[in-house]
Amino acid sequence: MENYINWIYIAIGAGLISIGVAFYLYFWVLKQDPGTERAKEVASWIKEGANAYLVKLYRSLGILAVVIAFIIAIVFSIQPETAGGGSVTLQIKEGLTMALAFIAGSLSSAIAGYMGMRVAVEANVRTATAANFSLAKAFKLSFNAGAVLGLAMVGMAIIGMSLILLWTGTPEVVLGFSFGASVLALLAKAGGGIYTKAADIAADLVGKIEVGIPEDDPRNPAVVADNVGDNVGDVAGMGADIFDSYVASTVAVMVLGASLGLSQVDQVKYTVIPLILCVFGILASLIGIALVRVKEGQKPGPALNRGTIITTIIFAVFMFVFVYFADVNPGIFWATLTGLIAGVIIGFTSDYFTNDQYKPVRETSRVSTSGAAINIITGYSYGLISIVPSVIGVAAATLIAFYAAEHFGLSGIYGIGISAVGMLSISGMIVSADAYGPIVDNARGIAEMSGMGHEVIVIADELDSAGNTAKAITKGFSIGAAALTVIALFAAYSEVVEDAGVSIAISLREPIVVAGVFLGAMTPPLFSALLMLAVTHNAFDMIKETRRQFSEEPGILAGTHKPDYGRLVSLASEGALSSLVLPAILAIGLPLLTGFVLGPNALGGFLGGSIFTGVIFALLMSNAGGLWDNAKKYIETGKFGGPGSDAHKAAVVGDTVGDPFKDTAGPSLNTLITVMSLVSSLFAPIIAVFYLFK
Amino acid sequence: MAIYLYLSLLPEALIASMLSPEEFGTYYAVGSAKKSRGQAMFFEVDPDFRHPYFRVEEAYERCVPHEDGSLKSSVYISVYRVLEHIDFDALMHLYLTTMDGRTLELSPSNQIPNGKEHLHLYQEVVPVSPMVVSRLGPMEFIDQIVRNPVSLVSLPAIVFTELQLGELADDPEMGLMENLPYSNRDHLRQCLTDVKTKYVSTKMVDRSHSPEVQYRTIKNGFFVGNQTHLRYFPMPSPEEIRINNYRWFRSANI
Repeated sequence: MENYINWIYIAIGAGLISIGVAFYLYFWVLKQDPGTERAKEVASWIKEGANAYLVKLYRSLGILAVVIAFIIAIVFSIQPETAGGGSVTLQIKEGLTMALAFIAGSLSSAIAGYMGMRVAVEANVRTATAANFSLAKAFKLSFNAGAVLGLAMVGMAIIGMSLILLWTGTPEVVLGFSFGASVLALLAKAGGGIYTKAADIAADLVGKIEVGIPEDDPRNPAVVADNVGDNVGDVAGMGADIFDSYVASTVAVMVLGASLGLSQVDQVKYTVIPLILCVFGILASLIGIALVRVKEGQKPGPALNRGTIITTIIFAVFMFVFVYFADVNPGIFWATLTGLIAGVIIGFTSDYFTNDQYKPVRETSRVSTSGAAINIITGYSYGLISIVPSVIGVAAATLIAFYAAEHFGLSGIYGIGISAVGMLSISGMIVSADAYGPIVDNARGIAEMSGMGHEVIVIADELDSAGNTAKAITKGFSIGAAALTVIALFAAYSEVVEDAGVSIAISLREPIVVAGVFLGAMTPPLFSALLMLAVTHNAFDMIKETRRQFSEEPGILAGTHKPDYGRLVSLASEGALSSLVLPAILAIGLPLLTGFVLGPNALGGFLGGSIFTGVIFALLMSNAGGLWDNAKKYIETGKFGGPGSDAHKAAVVGDTVGDPFKDTAGPSLNTLITVMSLVSSLFAPIIAVFYLFK
Repeated sequence: MAIYLYLSLLPEALIASMLSPEEFGTYYAVGSAKKSRGQAMFFEVDPDFRHPYFRVEEAYERCVPHEDGSLKSSVYISVYRVLEHIDFDALMHLYLTTMDGRTLELSPSNQIPNGKEHLHLYQEVVPVSPMVVSRLGPMEFIDQIVRNPVSLVSLPAIVFTELQLGELADDPEMGLMENLPYSNRDHLRQCLTDVKTKYVSTKMVDRSHSPEVQYRTIKNGFFVGNQTHLRYFPMPSPEEIRINNYRWFRSANI
């Protein structure tokens, strides 16, 4: 048993190494040349805007976290004495511990996101400057900066989980840590998504369509808000999102491991194994990150993909060696391998539907010559088809992991959880490749706005194109991982309810369960609608302001008068934050309401319904949005009439529809279903005892 | 202080200005206090050019800085039948300004493309703006439009540009046209087929086409002709524009 306790210390060590490397890379990035005064000035606008938003976001989230922590402290201090309810005891220590775990989860996620964003706003201008010298130099800089987020995120997560497990010895408390991370992730991702798309739509519709100025033109009043959005949405938001899935999958398996009914030694072993997977994942990611390099004349896209595949192989080898030599059930290895392969397949399948090398994007571009309606119908249809391979991948991973684990005498559900952890263990590498995208996107914007030469823009374009592919792969990967994670969390929920002495029976023959399924299935579409309405509402305000500035000050377009960027940044921030209230209440309140009113069985149905529609909507929206975006870009290369043609106008409409699909609602759904699963598991012992519809 | 003379094509007008061509392009496209906006195409005309049809001296006298010291942007000299009264030897450079105010300078060239072996798509700019297809090369096209003594319909002078046709230039029946940026491409194909296979040498594709030009679709450059003169202002290659005029390159979506 002591061996496995030692693994918790090793996990903390691995986390510290990961954070240490992140700091090293951060300071390495800061040492690079930030470029000309003009470039620094442009970068400072983006940095100030991003910092201002994050300060406002974290201040609001801090207040919310304290309120939720207070509620958790009260609720978990009141423990039922018996399964049937009746008398209760006051256990303040348990309540405070859970509240502190919640705060620690929120804080860790916030720190990782903040570190990622800090380095992103420093790296963007340095990448643009490095692009003056070579693509290889610019790539190294931007990828190392992305790695700061990837490594900080996994480091903070593993340290947080290990410390809480060591401190309390109870995986259920780590659920509180995970819940804290999830709440922050939900709001950071949704808020960032609303911010970035409202700014993007305003900048494009007024700047590009109405006024005719190119992308990233400094005369566009919304251009700084657009670039800030890349950071708060794609760096801080996506980082928090994967942090949340990473922690949630690990915690779910910990809870399952603790409830397998094994001997105390094996119980500790199977509780700690997910942390061991994280340790190997961190080591594999560190090696993979070190091997991602581009030589002059090489393309950055294959280098990123190569890094992901190398990391996956190294991790699989580590796991094989561990399972072989540490006398661990071989089912662990096969379940891990299943998750890894499923993750890579789902990621690359998303790429098929969003890459202009393949039929879906090209066909959508071609039919755009017949107008916006046909573009939208075609893109939406391919989005629906794109669900198929990913869902088959998740279903196959679920079954293979289940039966592989059962075959070796391990709990099948535990195997499913391990496959989710296996998929997410290499998050260090995945997030590094993902965070690289917005950094090079910003670098391109800075190069444009500060008037760097065309050869710099050509390099920035090439870097940016690789970033878009990495982004598509990460989205597919994170949705697949979330699907497997919530299946494990669903099982953990059932275990927690049964641990409270209440037998759970989730059958579709029970009307109360059917009601729960319908309510759960309704939630992801409703949540998506609220976020997309927030985008349109905020974009509308920003469009009005952008038009006003162009109209009242002709000097802006003439280039003799600087636009008021700050006004648009401020509108985007305030709009995004105020729009978060209702979705946040929905995500936390609906499962609790269902549980406390209809009971644990209905809540089980609720989770099942939300998982299925959540995964399907997330895949549809992410892939359809990416497809519309790339169909427009494909036309912009001169195909089907090129920029300004009727096909292009139709594709712009499709892209605008797809913007909140792919960058606001779609990616937020992973976090929504994780939050709802976590809040259910966390409150399950209380719900099991106190509910109305008995 | 220097005073410039510009022949604007959109709309057809002769204008005196204290602004340099780049400044004038920006002003004309986006900078007007009256908030009028749009693409601009204009020639820089020799400031010493005079013609009894235009009251140039009077305009020059009015072309003085404002009270706050800012330069006078424009004094309109004439807005009707301007081109036909211009001496083409006085045309110095042609400037193409994008909708958002970036300006590209085109210099004249004596190497006028012929292109007899291909079909052509012409966008007329001044004085009228139809889009036509023809099997005539640019020089023959001017002869037909401006110098044909037997034609009932002719123009005193013309500015036009030739647009890209891709594979349709050689094979209107079967050539790939999906990447062409024009509306109503099936009609365009039919018109090209007609001029290739029937007696007519020129056919109108769109009688009221917008005189604004998608610059990236220009095949070779702008042609200016009247009874006695023909001037040609070639477009640089996209690569040359990208290297030397990156802002314009981006702005024109090339």
